[in-house]
Amino acid sequence: MRKKIWTLLFGALLFGSCVSVKEYKKIYLNDADMKLSANQNERFENNFQVYREAASGANSGKTGGGCGCN
Amino acid sequence: MKRAILLVFCLFSAFAWVKGQQADSTKVYKKKVLESTEVDLLMSLYNQDGVHSPVNGGIGTEKLVDGTPTIVVSMPLSEDDVLTIDAGLSAYTSASSSNINPFMSVASTLKSTNLFNTTGASRGGTTIITTTPGGGTTTTTTPSKPYGSPWIASTGASHADVNKAIHADFSHSSDSRNFIWGTNVAYSKEFDYRSYGFGGNLTGLFNEKNTEVGLKGSAYIDTWKPIYPTELREYMDYGSNFQSSGYFNGVTILNQSGVATTAYLPSQFKPWDSKGRNSYTASLFVSQIFSQKLQGALFFDLVSQQGMLSTPYQRVYFADKPNFYIGYPAFIPVYTTSDNKAVYQLADDIERLPKSRIKFPIGVRMNYYINETFVLRSYYRYYVDNWGISAHTVNFDLPVKLSPSFTFTPSYRFYMQSATNYFAPYEMHLSTEQYYTSDYDLSKFTSNQYSFAFNYTDIFTSLKVGSMGLKNVNVKYSHYSRSDGLDANIFSFGIKFVGDK
Repeated sequence: MRKKIWTLLFGALLFGSCVSVKEYKKIYLNDADMKLSANQNERFENNFQVYREAASGANSGKTGGGCGCN
Repeated sequence: MKRAILLVFCLFSAFAWVKGQQADSTKVYKKKVLESTEVDLLMSLYNQDGVHSPVNGGIGTEKLVDGTPTIVVSMPLSEDDVLTIDAGLSAYTSASSSNINPFMSVASTLKSTNLFNTTGASRGGTTIITTTPGGGTTTTTTPSKPYGSPWIASTGASHADVNKAIHADFSHSSDSRNFIWGTNVAYSKEFDYRSYGFGGNLTGLFNEKNTEVGLKGSAYIDTWKPIYPTELREYMDYGSNFQSSGYFNGVTILNQSGVATTAYLPSQFKPWDSKGRNSYTASLFVSQIFSQKLQGALFFDLVSQQGMLSTPYQRVYFADKPNFYIGYPAFIPVYTTSDNKAVYQLADDIERLPKSRIKFPIGVRMNYYINETFVLRSYYRYYVDNWGISAHTVNFDLPVKLSPSFTFTPSYRFYMQSATNYFAPYEMHLSTEQYYTSDYDLSKFTSNQYSFAFNYTDIFTSLKVGSMGLKNVNVKYSHYSRSDGLDANIFSFGIKFVGDK
């Protein structure tokens, strides 16, 4: 039930808010801190988190390779 | 799974190629995708310590120090094409993996620690007076006594290694810049592990670049060079006569009462029948601009892993098997505490895990530009796999712009996971189970991480080093704390140079 609510909520947010922002109005969105990928300095943290935690992925990073066993 | 990934990838490739051709048929002025060469010099220092080493069957020191110098170079090959080379080292020392062979001689200990009060003791000596955890002394007579402890790093070859990795990525953007395709190859190697990777990605931008859809596929073909714990390796090499051959010839094995015995026989141990581990990943991401200050993205991954997914040197001790030790019997009663300085329990087996694992993480990122001073970055991930693990991750960053050049970013990350079906702590597994591990990375826990980062940006790149200008400097410190007692600190440093246009 909770999953359905979250799905609906996000779906509504996603599709109900699909306004088209013109290029010249993207000054805030183009700010370096607004980018939607992980920051370059997070790669090392992601690396050790993949080793120390069972969960990984869904973060636009590496999802395989290397044993991560130390 | 592999066929499905391949099929989706081919369809998307064909679609993107057709769209790219259409767009490329009109020749217009094009701004370069990447104006000039960029060089990132990155470095991290990581240290951790904990009390649940998987090499020692779920107890003992997890002390580890890791340094990772890395260089990333991005080069414009043409107006549309960019090549990125990412090369780095990861040099570590690990107390945990040092105990693949935990056994040290008395002589080496005498040189390095004050553990023993001795009277003429040496590797071939006769009498040793041992300081017990209670403060008293016991006298032991032995011709030669190697020993170890899960709470002390051994001096063996496995205490340190260097992982070398290189990754090359090529991307091409269409004239309209609305379609991008890319391909990549990767290679990494350490002493007992080698990995080859390759993949491709396609991205389409729609709705005046307000919507972005990306598809990515990758495969990693990995090979183990399995290293087994010393006692199991000797059993593998010499069979049931191993106590009178090789390393164990003349070495006394003790039972739980500290009495010499020859009953130790790890007959459950069998070497691996294969050495490969393959990982296939299909990823989809959708990003959307919601307003002039709000944008978000959804990430879906489907990961299929096959092959040897366990680690060959992680010991397991069974509750229904008798215990055997090498070292000093005075420490057997305190084996599971850090008071144990000189006795090591011999393994019943190594961890055994299924040869297949399917992972399914979903992530959501939402970034909001609050005002000229604050930005709020948020991330949530739900993860589930077919080993019985589910996990939640939440992360918040709050970049604070102190000036046009300086940004200070505090961050907080919370993580929680359930245990795999195959996990049990030290001495809790039964030998009748099919799969077992005492690796606390697969146990139930929560973790908290606090970070602080400083970022300096000079958009004019006024500081020059040769033909390169300094664009950005970033320093970050994070403290990570896990509910099972593992603590870690990571310091990372990055500096970006860009070439003259």
